[in-house]
Amino acid sequence: MVVGLSAAEKNYIAGGIAVDLRSDGRGRHHFREFSIDTSVVPQANGSARICLGGTDVVASVKAELSTPPSGRPNHGKMEINVECSPTAAPEFEGRGGEELSMDLSRALQRSFLGGASGAGAAIDLASLSIVEGKLCWMLYIDGLVLSSDGNLLDALSIAMKAALSNCGLPKVDIISGTSPEEEPDYELSGNPEEFSRLETSLVPVIVTLTKVGKHYIVDATAEEESQMTAAVSVAVNKKGSVCGLTKRGGTGLDTSVLLDMISVAKRVSQSLLSTVDSEILASETRHNEEL
Amino acid sequence: MKRTHFRLSPSQKQRLSQAQERCRAAAGGFQASAFVNVGDTIPVDYDNGFLRGHGTQLVEGQLLATVCGVVERVNKLISVRPLRARYNPETGDVVVGRITEVAPKRWKVDVNSRQDAQLLLSAVNLPGGIQRRRTATDELNMRDLFTENDVISAEVQTLHQDGSLHLHTRSLKYGKLENGQLVKVSPYLIKRLKQHFHQLKQYGVQLILGCNGYVWISAIPPSSSEIVAIQPATNQRAAESESRETGAGTPEAQNVEITRDLRERICRIANAVRVLGACGFMIHPDSIVDTYEASLTSGIEPKQMISGEFHVRTVEREADQRSKKGSFKGSARHLYKAVAARGDDQHHQVYVQVSISRSGSTRELCINGPVTSSSADRHSAGGWPHPT
Repeated sequence: MVVGLSAAEKNYIAGGIAVDLRSDGRGRHHFREFSIDTSVVPQANGSARICLGGTDVVASVKAELSTPPSGRPNHGKMEINVECSPTAAPEFEGRGGEELSMDLSRALQRSFLGGASGAGAAIDLASLSIVEGKLCWMLYIDGLVLSSDGNLLDALSIAMKAALSNCGLPKVDIISGTSPEEEPDYELSGNPEEFSRLETSLVPVIVTLTKVGKHYIVDATAEEESQMTAAVSVAVNKKGSVCGLTKRGGTGLDTSVLLDMISVAKRVSQSLLSTVDSEILASETRHNEEL
Repeated sequence: MKRTHFRLSPSQKQRLSQAQERCRAAAGGFQASAFVNVGDTIPVDYDNGFLRGHGTQLVEGQLLATVCGVVERVNKLISVRPLRARYNPETGDVVVGRITEVAPKRWKVDVNSRQDAQLLLSAVNLPGGIQRRRTATDELNMRDLFTENDVISAEVQTLHQDGSLHLHTRSLKYGKLENGQLVKVSPYLIKRLKQHFHQLKQYGVQLILGCNGYVWISAIPPSSSEIVAIQPATNQRAAESESRETGAGTPEAQNVEITRDLRERICRIANAVRVLGACGFMIHPDSIVDTYEASLTSGIEPKQMISGEFHVRTVEREADQRSKKGSFKGSARHLYKAVAARGDDQHHQVYVQVSISRSGSTRELCINGPVTSSSADRHSAGGWPHPT
């Protein structure tokens, strides 16, 4: 995203980061306040919207029945895709928006989908299996960027975590065909009360550390992002293990700085995760009260 | 304008809507219904006729609003001033803008208007204040003055028929802005005043309220700090000394040491402007200082000022202040009714709007329609019952 800043403003931003007081009063390792709203897309199985300062993103989870991936008969499938809507902001028009969505999708896939064997995915893929080798759930996780004021990746990861927590999979009754020879015959439960939740406690959040000058900051605004030399996005789950790492920006980083960044990301992510969890819970209770 | 979101818990939401309700109630009478949404009917006096202004449409004999905003009535002309609009320039406005392009003999400046404004090379002061024709060399060295993305303060010189506007920086107070940050708010929140450059001496902060909704908050440029203190309130002396001020953008202005303390004060002021902007309250030095002091007395850190809680508190404080004035506003309403009733047989609609500060001094007097000068005098010159 292109943000034009004068030399004086650049100096001011860099100076603020150096003394640990940014333009909006935050310290280097402070997140902006955010609000999460769940069940915002009625057609989706789960959805969430997060507003983080001026950044506004929606994530939705759509579940479809599918056949398991080849070689892994007892697994389900997940797919992540992000779109930066050109109707949301003029800077998403044309090539710029496409490239940005590609970058974001790739970083999220790296952090959420685990390895080629499906190990280490955000959701235990085995829990998506219905009939071994025959039938499984396929989760399409879509992110939509409505407006951007920096730190899109972190916002998307939080939105996706919330959408997955919000996701309800309808009950599938297997009528026949559990043996390996025959095709399975099944029935989707029409009862909206009968659904199962996903186990989402180990879904990671991404914390991006943006290096501006000598220091690195958490949750950069668009203005601060325009001044970055490098950014490292670390996906950390509740256990504190790193699930994915993405580095952007041309400038190289010293190994010691990188290790330092990871430990900061780990510390920040633990408080962030608890905020996210309580926000998701608050939003869910709000919805239940309305119903 | 980018909207920033703040988190509100259900109880905070309730408090916010209550405070908003109180704000509306304090406005009272016809002012309470002055806000219209798209498609709302605007009450008009059909018998006496009216003129349809901007933001309105006649549908089946009823006057409807086509934008969200505030109904404004000038004699028979009824228009709706939209709440979210681009900057509508007027000659003489002080604006803060960002250079978008360096073109032949001119700079293009983004001032949040429908078009980029133009700043001609002949409309700027050359360094050293030399008065002469601009040569080709000057044109080649334009980037030494202002380059792309520089933030500048300027004044609107002329408006043209095709909607373009020309700026000038022919005073030492205008020019490049440094050592601070830009905050953008809706242009309608900034009233045109005598004074748009404010030096808040007690904080060491300079505040430039651009009529276009761009607010520049910075350290006081060093060259102007020796000059007699300029109070935020408008007075004759301030206007005089302002013209003597050396503007920012001079080489010495670039090397100001911004201490952490000063930065925190700048930040607090900036967040006060952000909060007021988000709540839709008028932005002037008094309200900013008020919000600033409120944040200090409640002992919160600058970063907590953009939290939902502080927004709610700001609205509640405003509601308290307005309802204190409320009893007085009530008498204003009675007076309005009396005048309007008298105007009825002359087919005149009269509105008298007076805003009074808590000390009881008249801040603004706005009369739409004919009122005899004696009665207008009586309203403003203390002829009204005092609230206490």
